[in-house]
Amino acid sequence: MDIFPQAFSDAILLAGLYTLMAVGLSLGFGVLRIINFAQGEMIMLGAYGAFWLFTLMGVDPLISLPLLVVAGFALGWVLFHGVVAKVLDAPHINQILLTFGIGLAIQHVAIILWTGNARSTTPDYATTSSVVGDVLLVHGRVTAFAAAVVMVAALIAWLQWSETGRATRAVAENRSAAVLMGIDVNRIYALSFGVSCALSVATGVVVSFILTITPFMGFPMLVKAIAIVILGGLGSIAGTVLGAFALAFAETFVSYYLPEGSGWAEGIAFVLIIGILLVRPRGILGQAVET
Amino acid sequence: MTALLELANLRVGYGQSVVLQDVSLELHQGEIVCLLGANGAGKTTTTRAVSGLLAPWSGEIRFAGENIASIPAHKRVELGICLSPEGRQVFPNFSVHENLLLGSYSKKARQRRAEMFDEVYGLFPRLAERRTQKAGLMSGGEQQMLAIGRALMGCPRLLMLDEPSLGLAPKIILDVYEAVATIAKRGLSILFVEQNVQAALLVAHRGYVLANGQIAAAGTSAELQNSTLVQEAFLGKKPSLLATDGARGHSAAVPAI
Amino acid sequence: MSTRSLAIPVWAVCALVLLLVPAYGSPTFVDLAFRTASLIVLAISWNLMASAGLISLGHSAFFGLGGYVGILSANLLGAPFWLSLVGAVIAGTLLGSGLALITGRMRGIYFAITTLAASEGLRVIAVMLPDLTGGAKGAYLKAATFPGVLAINLAMSLVAVAACIIAWMVSRSRFHYAFRAMRANEAASQMLGIFPLKYRTAIMALSGGMASLVGGVEVWHGGYLDPAVAFDLHITITSQIAPILGGIYTLSGPILGAIATVFLGDATRIALGHLQGASLLVFGLVLVFCVLYLPQGIQGGLLRMLGKRPSEAAAEPKLSPTVATGAAKP
Repeated sequence: MDIFPQAFSDAILLAGLYTLMAVGLSLGFGVLRIINFAQGEMIMLGAYGAFWLFTLMGVDPLISLPLLVVAGFALGWVLFHGVVAKVLDAPHINQILLTFGIGLAIQHVAIILWTGNARSTTPDYATTSSVVGDVLLVHGRVTAFAAAVVMVAALIAWLQWSETGRATRAVAENRSAAVLMGIDVNRIYALSFGVSCALSVATGVVVSFILTITPFMGFPMLVKAIAIVILGGLGSIAGTVLGAFALAFAETFVSYYLPEGSGWAEGIAFVLIIGILLVRPRGILGQAVET
Repeated sequence: MTALLELANLRVGYGQSVVLQDVSLELHQGEIVCLLGANGAGKTTTTRAVSGLLAPWSGEIRFAGENIASIPAHKRVELGICLSPEGRQVFPNFSVHENLLLGSYSKKARQRRAEMFDEVYGLFPRLAERRTQKAGLMSGGEQQMLAIGRALMGCPRLLMLDEPSLGLAPKIILDVYEAVATIAKRGLSILFVEQNVQAALLVAHRGYVLANGQIAAAGTSAELQNSTLVQEAFLGKKPSLLATDGARGHSAAVPAI
Repeated sequence: MSTRSLAIPVWAVCALVLLLVPAYGSPTFVDLAFRTASLIVLAISWNLMASAGLISLGHSAFFGLGGYVGILSANLLGAPFWLSLVGAVIAGTLLGSGLALITGRMRGIYFAITTLAASEGLRVIAVMLPDLTGGAKGAYLKAATFPGVLAINLAMSLVAVAACIIAWMVSRSRFHYAFRAMRANEAASQMLGIFPLKYRTAIMALSGGMASLVGGVEVWHGGYLDPAVAFDLHITITSQIAPILGGIYTLSGPILGAIATVFLGDATRIALGHLQGASLLVFGLVLVFCVLYLPQGIQGGLLRMLGKRPSEAAAEPKLSPTVATGAAKP
């Protein structure tokens, strides 16, 4: 049997998730010029949030999604005003170490609270599937893809057409000119950081019923998100979407067509990072950024 | 009558180095005032201080009688202080129309958006023709018009223009100044920075000459035109006195008129 | 007697203690000295890179590579202890200079991400080549000749003392000025006739070799290696926590910090041992705390208490806190 249609549809479904996973990082970097190394831990928190709401109270992850998104935004808002705002103008090293430290702390709070055991959320649709032509579609993955598409579309629409979204793009492009438009840059910063955390939490919620949940799940996802964002160009949302598709297709096809491919697929993100930095550091669609 | 804008003993700098030593000036409702001076004299620093991009070290910035020195920059836009900054600083990946929408971001301006669009597109038909064009792909002159239009969209009580003629072809400079003159006729108060002395004094009612971070001369356009100081400084007769910026930060003995 | 002239004898005594403990200390102290010495070298290595404006988020790449070169050269080629260490140093040097050349002009975020990718990438390779590395199951050291526990412990102490001396020598050389200039402004330093890439490659080679050497010694000490141990995020974290806690960009900072970090790790393990992950939680909080409130670390804090200005770290350029900074044009 030809495995191409299956690989292709798997890649598309994965790309949707990857887009959602990376778009928050991209927004945060575009506006604040900070890579939030704690972003992976936000994904983890989202997954645990969905898991506990489902396990303890039977709440479907799709229903807890909006709730947890709001909580993620609040967490981001608090983190911004509590700590991140203090290093906005500090050297990169402070920003990197600070967010890295926050991530480390969150991860180990999770280990202490919830142990390192693997868990999974199992709503009905997580395991059912249907066959369309040659392609097996797991309903959980399709659901996750649909949720991701809806959220990314909402983000893009907000950035494109709302007054605040436009202001956010303006701050990303030219901070001091944005001030001259009467935009409260600090408010936009807090907002973007909050939205970017909310998107990561959302990622965690939608992967909660397709991946295994552990306190360590965030870090590898962060590295992949970074690879995607670098691939697409730091700070470009359209580039991030392209980068997500590129990584998803590369990983899926490697794991389908190479012997032991699923193991090697895990390394593609790192090869891409180093390759892109060698060839075209600004990414596919990005603009030059001073480091 | 109190001045619309009044700077009193303003002292500003970057990091360790002082740029404006001690600047006092005023601008009345409906007046067009130009700031002249050589490169590095502190003209742009003055506009940045008034718009709030730079916090003053000491001294006062009074707008409509109120000291606004500690009000953050984005709130000054709400008060009606709009700057078309040096180097234009349009948002290159935004369309012309979006740039203008951003210009009217402040709450007050948002309410008068439709009216201001008509006015700006009427003033600069070129912008109306290219409203969907990306700003970064336009010529320098068009970008300058956009920067001025964008500042106008904020419904300013005080419009500040920083070097609107910088890097433009003479014919385009003429277009830009024609527009400035049109705006001025409507009674808007304008403070603008210019290196092109001839063009500036043609439009302005009054002017100040900045040198080494201080006001070196002040007067009506006609007075400045005939002042030996200005002639020496800008018409190249004896460039030693004012046209230096190397000495910035140190007190230089410049006669104030 | 001034603090300055006091410093040399104090350091000499510390070095002597470190070298004598493996032979005469109780097992607890031998273990403590080994771990402290190991972290001192990693911290100095990390700090050397940071001094050149390079923030490594993947120090485990060097450590793990050194470990694998050590174990593989012993198992497959029958290399003795010292020769496998030479191999580890060479591998670390090559990886370091390779990364310096790959990242070229890029620093800051890009460099940090590249080191992170290098570490994770090497881990995937180690997992995926089971015939060579034993894969995820790991490999045991099967050396033809075993040098003895004392020799291995002593070697680590020696390496630590040597690393301190190297760091001191670097601080006395032209590198010192080059670093400062590079941290402040790369473009300007280029105009001053300092060639950043040359210095950066040299420092990455030196620093990478150091960290790999630690990995090499550790594998002889532990006798076992798997990808999760070799490229453990824990290594990356402790090697950056130590200099930051002690005092980044300084000579004594990484040493003080390494001691403090080992102490802190042990203390939380003893106090909160029933909570898995507590020590890393503390490290994470320490990192956040240091960045926000103790930017010059213990060293800076001590100097301030003694009423002195922290010498070098204080000279770091700080961005001026203007209302809203854009491209500042004076």
